[in-house]
Amino acid sequence: MNPFDLPGPEFLGFYLALAAIVILGSVLWRRAAEAGSAPRIDLADPYLIAYLRGGANEMLCVGLVSLIDRGLLAVNGTQIQRAPNATPNSVRRPIEKALLEIYEKPGTATSIFDDPGLKPICDEHKETLERNGLLPDAGVAQARLVRLIFACCLLGGVGVLKIMIALDRGRTNIQFLVILIIVALGVAIKFASPRLTEKGATLLADIRTLYAGLKDRAYSIRPGGATLDALMLTAAFGMGALAGEDFAYTRTLFPRAKSSTSSLSSSWGSSCGSSCSSGSSSCGSSCGGGGCGGGCGGCGG
Amino acid sequence: MSDRFGLGWRPALAAGILSNLDKIDLVEVIADDFFHAAKRERRALRTLASQTAVTLHGVSLGMASAVPVDSRRLDKMARLCGEVGPVSWSEHLAFVRGGGIEIGHLAAPPRTSATIDGTLANLARARTIVGFAPQVENVATLIDPPGSDRDEATWIAEIIREAKSDLLLDLHNLYANALNFQFDPFAFIARLPAERIAAIHLAGGKWIGANGARRLLDDHLHDVPDPVYDLLAAVGERATRSLTVILERDGDFPAIDCLMDQLERARQALAQGRLRLACKKGEAATA
Repeated sequence: MNPFDLPGPEFLGFYLALAAIVILGSVLWRRAAEAGSAPRIDLADPYLIAYLRGGANEMLCVGLVSLIDRGLLAVNGTQIQRAPNATPNSVRRPIEKALLEIYEKPGTATSIFDDPGLKPICDEHKETLERNGLLPDAGVAQARLVRLIFACCLLGGVGVLKIMIALDRGRTNIQFLVILIIVALGVAIKFASPRLTEKGATLLADIRTLYAGLKDRAYSIRPGGATLDALMLTAAFGMGALAGEDFAYTRTLFPRAKSSTSSLSSSWGSSCGSSCSSGSSSCGSSCGGGGCGGGCGGCGG
Repeated sequence: MSDRFGLGWRPALAAGILSNLDKIDLVEVIADDFFHAAKRERRALRTLASQTAVTLHGVSLGMASAVPVDSRRLDKMARLCGEVGPVSWSEHLAFVRGGGIEIGHLAAPPRTSATIDGTLANLARARTIVGFAPQVENVATLIDPPGSDRDEATWIAEIIREAKSDLLLDLHNLYANALNFQFDPFAFIARLPAERIAAIHLAGGKWIGANGARRLLDDHLHDVPDPVYDLLAAVGERATRSLTVILERDGDFPAIDCLMDQLERARQALAQGRLRLACKKGEAATA
């Protein structure tokens, strides 16, 4: 059976199936080509994680939260300014030094997004991620383009050929097919080049799973920069994950930050390991065996 | 000897642990938390294992029992070991169920020939199914197991000698038992086969009960008490191999710096013991 001889509706069904197979095939092809074991990177570098999660602007936002949380930047409404006792030498990381220099004069949080002085610092993080195969480098981008061209040629070619055959046979009702070709090409383009490589997406998911415990107790995280908890929570899950009035400034400075609703409660998120928890005392992971039963008599293990 | 020092992985400590990987040689993960975990959770564990060495710690096998250990649980442990590639795995010398009832506690069994035989059979089974033997850990107990015909040191030494298993010596469990049942923990350490001590657990606890019936409870919610560091130095003076020292904390988490300080103190205590061992060897060579 020659599919090009199929009548209109049947051909549309055939084309739909072909588009699904081609798009799914190219996605699986890309994922297989870009997969790999997790590289050894600093899983506690909030800026690297923030860049991986959302790019340069997210990294800059995390930098601002870090400096505000540590009292090095002061917030007044939507305006940010360097705290009187802070200097760029108060911090170690280049991104933090640069932010403290910029906010010597007051400005909004978003005013730094296009600052040319910050671009080289952001690019360093981008290059690290590219080098580790977590963001697409030139080679990956080229391979993606080849796969996209292949998919588009196949989908476009089959569609155009059918249109030519139809017109040759004196049929002009090709509108649905034209729409379907455009939609298929659009979907193919959309899925051809996500921001992260498969390895990057996998590592980000793993990082979020490792930090799931932070998200579960976001309301108990206190400001002040005494621990890395607020910073790592923001880096891994975004500004919306910071809960409580202590971090209300984030909603003023970054009004688009939304509370993330995805639940990552899991083996990683449980605060009491395997099973044992009773009353106000939390009996840890080494406690008990397959259940608490009558309660913990201490951990003993 | 290159001793290694690490922390028990707890989700609440994730940021602190991951930001101190340059000072931590390995992390100990509770294996049972991952027996039924989703694929992504196990993958995250593999990612963690790709960043630092991991040791798996079991809490539900019930090795020290006359009842054969559940082979399904051993299968799960074997699968997890295969996926994660831990440097070691460990389980307690305790029973956790009987007659199909989970008791929810790491209970000390009667110290008898029967429980030694049962434990040896279980350890052999674990070695066969998982592929390598677990380190076995002494447990804390609030009651002296009734029906025992020997003391704890004798019972443990017989098991690890017969099974050729390594010992994960929990020094706070030992300290708590020594206080609760009034024996000398240093003498206890001296009676263990030194060449079989491979790993150490450090933790803290609290006193419970009224005067006259007070007991030290190993709850993992408090800082490591000073005498436990002295015990660690004593182990360092006797143990002939490199040791893995894990600090366990299950709740009431202090700042990570506080835990790192305790780990540093453990390093110093063990180094002190090692130095004494080296001095002894030097004296012996001179003599």
